[in-house]
Amino acid sequence: MATNTVVDVHNLEKTYGKANERQYKALKGLNFTVEAGEFVGIMGASGSGKTTLLNMLSTLDVPTKGDVVVNGHDVTKMRGNQLADFRAQEVGFIFQDFNLLESLTAEENIGLPLALKGTASRVMDQAIHEVAETLSIADLLSKYPSELSGGQKQRVAAARAIVHHPAILMGDEPTGALDSTSARELLDLMTTINEKQHMSVLLVTHDPFSASFCQRILFIKDGQIGSEIKRGDQDRSAFYQQILNELGTFNE
Amino acid sequence: MLGKLALAGIKHRRRDYLVLLVGLTMSAAIFYMFANLATNRAFIKANAVVSQASLIFGFGAALLILITVVYIMYANSFLLSMRQHDYGLFMMLGATRKRVGELVFLETLILGTLATAVGIVIGLLMSQFLVGFLLDMLGLHLAHLSAFYLPAIIATAVLYVGLFILASLFNLIRLTRTTVLKLLHTDEQANQPKNHPFRQAVSAILGIVLLAIGYWALAAIKALQVAAIPIALVTITIGTYLLFRATILVIIQGLRRTKWARKHLNGFLLGQLNFRVYNYTRMLTIVSLLFAMALGAITVGSGYHRQLPMMANSLGTYTIAVHDKTAQEQKLIDQLNVKHQATYTQKRHGKVVYYNAAELKQQPFELNKGTTEAKYQTHPKYYNESLKKFKQSGSQSLDFLSLAIRGEQGFFAPKIVSAQQFAKQPGKTVTVTTVRVKDMDQDKQVLKQLNKLELKRFAQPAEMTVGNYQSYELMSGFFGGLEFMGYFLGIAFLAMLASCLMFKILSGAPGDQRRYRMLYKVGVRHSLMRHGIAKEIGILFLIPGIMGVIDVLFGLQMFKPLMQSPMSPYLGIGSIFAIFIGLYAIYYVITLTLYWRIVLPKAPTD
Repeated sequence: MATNTVVDVHNLEKTYGKANERQYKALKGLNFTVEAGEFVGIMGASGSGKTTLLNMLSTLDVPTKGDVVVNGHDVTKMRGNQLADFRAQEVGFIFQDFNLLESLTAEENIGLPLALKGTASRVMDQAIHEVAETLSIADLLSKYPSELSGGQKQRVAAARAIVHHPAILMGDEPTGALDSTSARELLDLMTTINEKQHMSVLLVTHDPFSASFCQRILFIKDGQIGSEIKRGDQDRSAFYQQILNELGTFNE
Repeated sequence: MLGKLALAGIKHRRRDYLVLLVGLTMSAAIFYMFANLATNRAFIKANAVVSQASLIFGFGAALLILITVVYIMYANSFLLSMRQHDYGLFMMLGATRKRVGELVFLETLILGTLATAVGIVIGLLMSQFLVGFLLDMLGLHLAHLSAFYLPAIIATAVLYVGLFILASLFNLIRLTRTTVLKLLHTDEQANQPKNHPFRQAVSAILGIVLLAIGYWALAAIKALQVAAIPIALVTITIGTYLLFRATILVIIQGLRRTKWARKHLNGFLLGQLNFRVYNYTRMLTIVSLLFAMALGAITVGSGYHRQLPMMANSLGTYTIAVHDKTAQEQKLIDQLNVKHQATYTQKRHGKVVYYNAAELKQQPFELNKGTTEAKYQTHPKYYNESLKKFKQSGSQSLDFLSLAIRGEQGFFAPKIVSAQQFAKQPGKTVTVTTVRVKDMDQDKQVLKQLNKLELKRFAQPAEMTVGNYQSYELMSGFFGGLEFMGYFLGIAFLAMLASCLMFKILSGAPGDQRRYRMLYKVGVRHSLMRHGIAKEIGILFLIPGIMGVIDVLFGLQMFKPLMQSPMSPYLGIGSIFAIFIGLYAIYYVITLTLYWRIVLPKAPTD
């Protein structure tokens, strides 16, 4: 396995429903890779299989067929604790609904992945404050999620996702519940993380504006990759136009 | 249509409903059993020889009603927590509040009525078998105890159905007053309690002062009489509440700052407890009181049970005396674990009973220091006197006199004469065998038969007892009611308090489902989540447990006047505590298993 490939999806299939019942094929033989340090977007309409794909990548669901290799680990072969540990160490998540634990402060939420690993308290403090600086949430650390705005919550969630330096950051419509200013801030932050820390980012979205922050976009339609576009050297607004054009023809 | 939907919702969670239904049924059954005892006047009259007993029965009934109210409140909130999401959904789909209100009302009422009806039937059966079994095990006989008692059935039905009507109304008001959105998202709110150092310090001090007053009132029951109980109940309740409110939060928040809190799920555990304990303060207070009452009741009950033989042993020197023993009686005596045995020949003539000095010299009549000296009451000390001294003092002891009873007139006057004189002495010859067993409890059954045979042949005045076994039987009659009450109330309280705690904790489960789902996504191992939940619920069980034990240790003072020396409410409480805590632990395991089942996310399967 080449070390510069972070995600390698091979022939991925997912069928819902039991063998003797009516079956639904959500994914029909998907193939793609994500290189180290890449910012990849996955777009598609509702029901195209985006979320199913992300669930496979993040081991929340089990594929019917095919392989998913993340950072050298074949996740389809893992079981039980291995899966949990994999999620805790290799993947950082940002969800649409934040998924922050409201009984913990922002600081405790961010520190959770490190606590799970059993990191020493001093190291943890340092890591939390570093990431808090990066995401400009240092002054929010002692607050509870209920005291934060949506944008702030999502930044805390982003901090939790990257505090343990995972191999890849996955976002499932992370801007879905944010206003446009907060959404832009978050996407800028994700770009910064991608560039400064060379962390691979996989962004699942149906929003062309969010997708325009990516370097490469895969379009999924009916469980298959329909097309792929690259940003190359063009600036973001030009890429945004290209995405809109692509969506226009893609959905035809 | 809506009715169908509601039914489908219930079916979907039938196991949770089953738990609720079983809990309510058991509560109704226990209440019936108690009401059966407490309202049955004939039974109380026949058994409540001690004046305090009827007071205790009344007190117990009031407590049980109080607990039932609290219990139904928590069971109801568990029900509501399971259903409110569904109800919110119905309203969102366009069902009118009125229609949903009707549904809520009916659902609560049907569930409650069903539980009450089944509960009374089970209560009837339990009265028949369990009470019989308990009495048998304790070796008690309580007169006028019947399983079926109409006033008790009516009392149970009226109380429960009434409470359920109230609960239905409460649900109705609560649901129709909350917005649809809130109903759909109630699980997602976690309020963070704030710290007020000064206020907390004041309430902690006030709490301790109130507790001290309550404990003092229990100890001073002789001076305060009946007033001690309400005083203690109020001060201990408020004191415990204030103390919990002031300290638990501080402890948890202190722990949150330690390094320990930053390992694995510890921080999450503390965070959960932080907002949970605060909401739970009231319930933890009640549960800790119930715990104390249950444990106290069982301790007192078992105290009587274990200490009655001891008390009886301090009254005399021999366990039983058999006159002119028959072959059958000899057979029974052979079955006893005899510690000391002696046979004397009597010659009864006129008002005098003659004994053979040679016989008494050969096997002296045993005396017990416990009957005269207080310090030997708990550990009887047996000794012999020289014949000369015995003629003056020992022969006048009640135990020795009792060997020859002259019916209603009292005793034959004993006279010890030399062997030659004894041989010449005219009169009716009677042999009497005195037996002292190692452990009266162990030989209870044989002694009972032996005593029956003896009394059949030699009638004696009703109030008179010969030998410690007869004293024991007499005292069992006096204290048996109390002993039984202790065991019964203890078990009933335990069952209810643990169920209360269980429902309160379980009603928080749907909200936790989401949190554990998040943890699962973030990559927390299943085992870690299981341990975390076990610790969290364990602590919620532990807090009232500890407080309850402390309450009991002080509360037992109350029984000192009822358990006069050599008995003591504190004797041998270790084993009872252990058994009780074992039962409590079973409830913990049940709650934990249910909680795991509700909140732990399922791993994906293909």
